[in-house]
Amino acid sequence: MKMTFKHQTARYISWVLIALLGSVVSVNVQANYTLPEYQKLTLDNKLTIYLMEQKEVPLVDINVVVKAGAIQDGDKAGLNSLTLSNMQLGTKQQTKVEIEESLDFIGAELDTWSNAEFSSISASFASKDQAKMLGVIRDMLITPRFDAAEFAKHKSRHLVRLEQQKESPRAVIGTYFNKLIYGDNGYGASVDGDATSVTSITLADLKTFHSNWYQPQNTAVVVAGDFDSKTMLIRLKALFSGWQNQTLPQRKMPTKAKSFNQSNVLLVNKSDATETRFLIGGEGIKRANPDFVAISVINTILGGRFTSWLNDELRVNAGLTYGARSSFTSYAQSGTFRISTFTKTSTTVEAIDLALKTYQKLWQQGVDEQTLASAKAYVKGQFPPRYETSTELAQLLGEMFIYDFDQGFINNFEHQVNSLTTDKAKHIIAKYFPQQNLQFVLVGKAQDIKEKVEKYGKVKQVNIKDIGFNIQ
Amino acid sequence: MKAITQVLAFCCTVFCFSANATNAKDIQTLTLKNGMKVLVLEDHSIPNANMYIFWKVGSRNEQPGTTGLSHFFEHMMFNGAKKYGPKMFDRTMEAAGGANNAYTTENLTVYTDWFPADSLELMFDLEADRIKDLAIDTKMVESERGVVASERSTGLENSNFRSIAQPVKATAFHAHPYSWPVIGHKSDIESWNLKDLNDFYKTYYAPNNAIVVIAGDVKFDNVKKLAKQYFEPIPAQPEPAKIRTVEPEQKGERRVYVHKASVSTPNLLFAYHVPQTEHEDYYALQILVSILSEGKSSRLSQALVDEQIATDVFGFMPEAFDPNLLYIYAIASKQSTAAQVEKGIIKQINRVMTEGVTEKELQKAKNKKTVGFYRDMSTINGKANTIGTYETFFGDYNKLFEATSAYDKVTIEDIKRVANAYLRKANRTVGVLSAKEDSNENDL
Repeated sequence: MKMTFKHQTARYISWVLIALLGSVVSVNVQANYTLPEYQKLTLDNKLTIYLMEQKEVPLVDINVVVKAGAIQDGDKAGLNSLTLSNMQLGTKQQTKVEIEESLDFIGAELDTWSNAEFSSISASFASKDQAKMLGVIRDMLITPRFDAAEFAKHKSRHLVRLEQQKESPRAVIGTYFNKLIYGDNGYGASVDGDATSVTSITLADLKTFHSNWYQPQNTAVVVAGDFDSKTMLIRLKALFSGWQNQTLPQRKMPTKAKSFNQSNVLLVNKSDATETRFLIGGEGIKRANPDFVAISVINTILGGRFTSWLNDELRVNAGLTYGARSSFTSYAQSGTFRISTFTKTSTTVEAIDLALKTYQKLWQQGVDEQTLASAKAYVKGQFPPRYETSTELAQLLGEMFIYDFDQGFINNFEHQVNSLTTDKAKHIIAKYFPQQNLQFVLVGKAQDIKEKVEKYGKVKQVNIKDIGFNIQ
Repeated sequence: MKAITQVLAFCCTVFCFSANATNAKDIQTLTLKNGMKVLVLEDHSIPNANMYIFWKVGSRNEQPGTTGLSHFFEHMMFNGAKKYGPKMFDRTMEAAGGANNAYTTENLTVYTDWFPADSLELMFDLEADRIKDLAIDTKMVESERGVVASERSTGLENSNFRSIAQPVKATAFHAHPYSWPVIGHKSDIESWNLKDLNDFYKTYYAPNNAIVVIAGDVKFDNVKKLAKQYFEPIPAQPEPAKIRTVEPEQKGERRVYVHKASVSTPNLLFAYHVPQTEHEDYYALQILVSILSEGKSSRLSQALVDEQIATDVFGFMPEAFDPNLLYIYAIASKQSTAAQVEKGIIKQINRVMTEGVTEKELQKAKNKKTVGFYRDMSTINGKANTIGTYETFFGDYNKLFEATSAYDKVTIEDIKRVANAYLRKANRTVGVLSAKEDSNENDL
């Protein structure tokens, strides 16, 4: 858990930040920008390597991405997440304390991240420390220690954090929404698990999961920043050529979204809540959708920027909320669309009604030339800062590996944005924005709002303090 | 603690960075006739640029009855001026490919515009309009009250830190305006009037009270021309009144307890009075915070998180014009009580006070500062924000480039001295946030 706190209060929650938190892939992309040159190659053991030199500051980023995520957890929800976290807690070569001491000493940062499909170990450090850092990351990836005492300590912290997540509606509402859209498996998997599943996970489970999924044929090592490609490649070969493959297990495939013949309202009761936070939506698009860019431009108009329709109506005109937005979250095989906002308990219905009414404008009013031109300029203009640092570029190259796209996505972006017309916009809206049987998740004080929200669909109530995300 | 041979090795660690990164001579400056200072950093790495305007006004400039006004005013700056009426600031900027945000702190209000470099002149036009001719619309004031009330309540709903930080500040400060939250008290958000807003605008939004930083794909000469054209005609105003109140010395530990039903394990916040940013002890205190709490190998992380007393711990000391606070925050583990966490933190602080820190720990903190500097300077936005922060809090952007050497001068003795001077019991406030009600059962 990473925390930064300031006595600071901003005009609104950064749209960029939300895009990063709420979505696996970036949505805004741009004009005249072409991706810096990079090399992609595959070692004999099928390990994929990406190298991109960026010399502005003397820093290097590594992003190791592995095609393994919570979908493969099976009935032990949280298994991949725990495996990945424990890979940081010591290697055959060094203890946890030795690694932490040595990384802190050189000011290096190391993080792990995973979702339903993928996992990542990423690090940022000074160029002069590249030999040391590459070695540590290699050891974490290939020869983790999986120490029993560290495992027990980590598990105990993880269990408390699962409870702590439930303190914040913002932190958990998305997991409830995916459960509602996909059910318990596939993209409905809860990445961090729950108290029951995590308690059942053993160190032996981690070792098996690691040897099954963390293999060179399933992995890419991305390096971006201030280094020399030739020397780097020699280093990487020396470190990773000896890493052996085994047979990969049968991969569990993600589930499709449920097909709904009615609207459902999942009401998550938080008895001390003073506001209601809600998501409204349904199935969205997969990452490889050929209309991905066009859809993101339309979403910019609906709820992807400050002057978007949703924010304009709910915040600027009505003063009901600090912010309202909409977003597509895309995975390899599917995705979700959702409208999201929050408002004080007493204006819950007013805010939901206004959000639904505003959403209907997509079909009733459509997108005019002027609005479309503004949105196109906006997504193009805001693109270059998204790929400014070696950290961002390393992340992009990692996404190319896991979602199987190439630099054409970046380099053709301007063309794709420019070719969107109001006629095509109409077609995009009809095809991709869910209109019927919308699904609702509300987190708030059930006692005060339950009866009032029955008009939106079939209400199912759960308690936020209940273990996990069981909504059946 | 590590062996002495290793300690010698650390002393030999030298950071040799290449010279591609920004340095002081890359920044060009301009002071307009009305006193507005403009700093420019040409950086052609992406076809974008930004404009950061730092206004020297924050919640410290407010009074009881109008707490939160600086932040509310920040919102109102987007709600219509003479040329660009309600909604037009955002609509015009976004249609030109730009985006914006703004933030308010105890000390500053900062506006941030991010845009394709060829929209630079439009940004000057938009900013000049609202700086010179803001038109406060009463209808917009009312809807914005609802927005800020929602911002306030969603912060409290989703963040335990906010729930405990406000009472801790209010307890640590009895006199100085740092005592109230930046967002303001609920009753004040509901009550300020048009006169409050207009007076505030006239007093603080004067060009002589601002620092402008522009970084990105721009030319200094062009920025200079536009600044003279758009910003120079805006009249200067008398300098705002100084903050008179000096917080009296704290003479004993203060405590505050807050009940919040949804908290799963107790949260603790320690706050110690420390001097303002320009004070000579600033660098030693920042290093002390780093040694105590930055990274998994830090003192508090090892003693509390590794030992299963807390799940998380961190510390920070915000930049401030007036003497403010150094914070340490921890969240109890399942098996620990608030008292155990408190004892664990105090034990580590006392160790630093009595035994000091090691050469290796000191060097580690310095190394972190150096790498952190390069991380801050890896984007045009990071550059603009950091340059502006140094210019405002240290009175000179050059201090940014001298920071590494200022940190290098900090010694083991300095750390021990500042720990003893400031992290004393009598100088601290301890806040506890818990799901357990503060009941009467143990009162008698």
